[in-house]
Amino acid sequence: MKSFRRITYPYVAWILVMILAPMLLIMLYAFTTAGNEVTTFKFTLANFAKFLTDRDYIEVLIRSLVVAVETTAICLLLGYPIAYCLAKLPEKNNLLMILLITMPTWINMLVRTYAWMGILQDNGVINNILGWFGLGRVKMLYTDFAVILGMVYNFIPFMILQIHTSLAKMDKSLLEAANDLGANRTQAFLRVTLPLSLPGVISGITLVFLPAVSSFFIPKLLGGGQFVLVGNVIESRFLTAGDWNFGSAISLIMAVIIMLSMWLTRKVDATPASAGKE
Amino acid sequence: MITKKKLIQFKNIVKHFEDGTVVLKGINLDIYENEFVTLLGPSGCGKTTLLRILGGFLQPSEGQVLFDGEDIVNVPPYKREINTVFQKYALFPHMNVYDNVAFGLTLKKEPKDVIQQKVMRMLKLVNLDGYAKRNVTELSGGQQQRIAIARALVNEPSVLLLDEPLGALDAKLRKEMQKELKYIQEEVGITFIFVTHDQEEALTMSDKIVVMNAGEIQQIGTPTEIYSHPVNEFVAKFIGETNIVDGVVQDDTHVRFEDKKFECDARGFDKGEKVDVVIRPEHLDVVPRGQGMLKGTVKSQLFKGVRYETIVETRVGTSITVKMQVSQDKPVFNEEKQEKISATGFLVDIEDVPELDDAKIVALASAEAWDAETEEPISIKTIEHNIQAETGEYAVTFATAAGTAITVKVAVAMPSRNENEVYQEEIYAMNFFKKVEDIQESITLDTDLETWASASAWSLEDGEQVEITDVKYDFDPETIEPGVYDVTFSTEGYEYQVSTTHKLEEGKQVGLVFAPEDIHVMKKKEGAF
Repeated sequence: MKSFRRITYPYVAWILVMILAPMLLIMLYAFTTAGNEVTTFKFTLANFAKFLTDRDYIEVLIRSLVVAVETTAICLLLGYPIAYCLAKLPEKNNLLMILLITMPTWINMLVRTYAWMGILQDNGVINNILGWFGLGRVKMLYTDFAVILGMVYNFIPFMILQIHTSLAKMDKSLLEAANDLGANRTQAFLRVTLPLSLPGVISGITLVFLPAVSSFFIPKLLGGGQFVLVGNVIESRFLTAGDWNFGSAISLIMAVIIMLSMWLTRKVDATPASAGKE
Repeated sequence: MITKKKLIQFKNIVKHFEDGTVVLKGINLDIYENEFVTLLGPSGCGKTTLLRILGGFLQPSEGQVLFDGEDIVNVPPYKREINTVFQKYALFPHMNVYDNVAFGLTLKKEPKDVIQQKVMRMLKLVNLDGYAKRNVTELSGGQQQRIAIARALVNEPSVLLLDEPLGALDAKLRKEMQKELKYIQEEVGITFIFVTHDQEEALTMSDKIVVMNAGEIQQIGTPTEIYSHPVNEFVAKFIGETNIVDGVVQDDTHVRFEDKKFECDARGFDKGEKVDVVIRPEHLDVVPRGQGMLKGTVKSQLFKGVRYETIVETRVGTSITVKMQVSQDKPVFNEEKQEKISATGFLVDIEDVPELDDAKIVALASAEAWDAETEEPISIKTIEHNIQAETGEYAVTFATAAGTAITVKVAVAMPSRNENEVYQEEIYAMNFFKKVEDIQESITLDTDLETWASASAWSLEDGEQVEITDVKYDFDPETIEPGVYDVTFSTEGYEYQVSTTHKLEEGKQVGLVFAPEDIHVMKKKEGAF
């Protein structure tokens, strides 16, 4: 046993250096004033106060959360039926479909987002097609619609895969049992399939919500300048303004919000029906 | 007797799957009210398919399923008055025991207090009151089983289908559940249709057993009927241990087997018809040899807890012993010319000598010569021999053009035959030569020995082939050295499995007795094994 424990040392070291240390640094920056010397730290809460008292920042925060919630909801509503149909497919087609769904992720997310700019812009593919039918141009790029489209497009595979996994591992005989006991298709779905796929739904939500709430290049590219989300604020604090302390404080606030939301979803997952799991 | 109502009728049910395999080949079966019916058969016989058709999970390719006189082939499972206990229980893991059992009732929107009453009554019936709030995943296999039964029965179906429900339980628990299932069936008074491959389970619980094999019903009957009067070899062998011997019907009351005439019920067979005669081990008794209806020797005994499973051999198989000459294949090395030559001795049937030419001799002796360095083959130029069509040993010399030579022995022999006059059987085999490597490398030595010795046996009555079941030899194939060995081939004798209460010495001469009613005569299956 002791020699086993020794194997974990490199991993512990890795975690300390690569995860814990940066987090501590962010904490350090968030609670100190700018221009510190290494030896003299000045403790302050001003960075937090600045964010929480400024109406503009709060607006950005709320907008970010709304966009993330919208994205997650659309991903769920679109992703569940897709995952459900996939799970019903025969094994062979199933693997092919999964491959097709994951294939776009082999290409860099940034490149794919640029491609959407080409499709959505005023003289892009869609507007050209609309033109052939004599329809007017529609402004799509640099709107809320474009940002949410970009996010849904980029994050929906996570949702589909998570839900698909939990549906695929479900024992088929459970549905037969439900039918046998008098449940028609809808009842069997609502009482058996849906509750048993909830763990997949929860982790799908987590995996979509997290990147959506902190994404910065999608709103930047597809939303243009006028569509600022928290991610963009943090990015500009670090990269443009050089105000690492304020950037760190916003990051920490986001981290707390994310942790809270994850704790909430866990709680939902753990409460009613799922008591009998694992 | 009260005439019971036909509840379910299968009419000419055929089922083939997409890949073309036919699982059910025209099943006709009536099931009555309040019956405990068992579908019994080996895996793949179609019993589960038939059950799934009745449950509504599969559609038959042809035929009708009548339930209370109405065709239900197109009725979906949730509208059938039938409930199923699945092989792996299929309990809902996200619900507790109570919710699992209440599942069907809540769908019917019954009032809450009624549901509670019914669920509690069911839990009591399956001996699990007090478990209502437990998670189903925490329960043992046997408990999950009972929940599955309660969950099905609470809906008050007219028929309960059970698909190998006891398969996952250990032997002791299975016995308990068998009793309990029978008790539950009597208590609720509905039809149980039980699928199993376990003949003991079928015999203990059923009112009616349906024996199936290869998509067809073999026999339908009560456990006693099926056990004592199987209709064919398949049923006889599947239901318990049994002795089956060849016999010939003499008249309505006599059958002849082992060259003796025995009294029995042989009505319904033609005079002179060849039949299978079945005698169950527990219907045979061991007596002193003089008093036996059959005489034999105790071959082996196995203690089976309460009784001994004794094998008595009444007839020894026909056997033949041949010589096997084993040689080591050492090539002769001609250092001067750097040539090597090798050959092995062989054996020729006296009848084949006239057809022997040089090419055949080279092939039989596997004679070959090659260059010692390059390993390139060198042709064998001269073959000297004086083989004649008389038994005896002859020398054969093979030589290359350069004079490298090897001499081996060839034996001309009469093939050995052994006729067994009593049982009208003949066995044939030849002495043979073999190399050490051939024996060491053989994976299925018994079969190879049969091939090498051209061993075969047949009946003198009708010329039909008789299987050689035993090959005996006195060497260890792994460490065999060159030399001469005996190999004995024999056909199967007649052996009887007898259930006895006392120990018997191996090799003891005994007699066997049985009563006329314990002999059961059945039709031989066409083209049977």
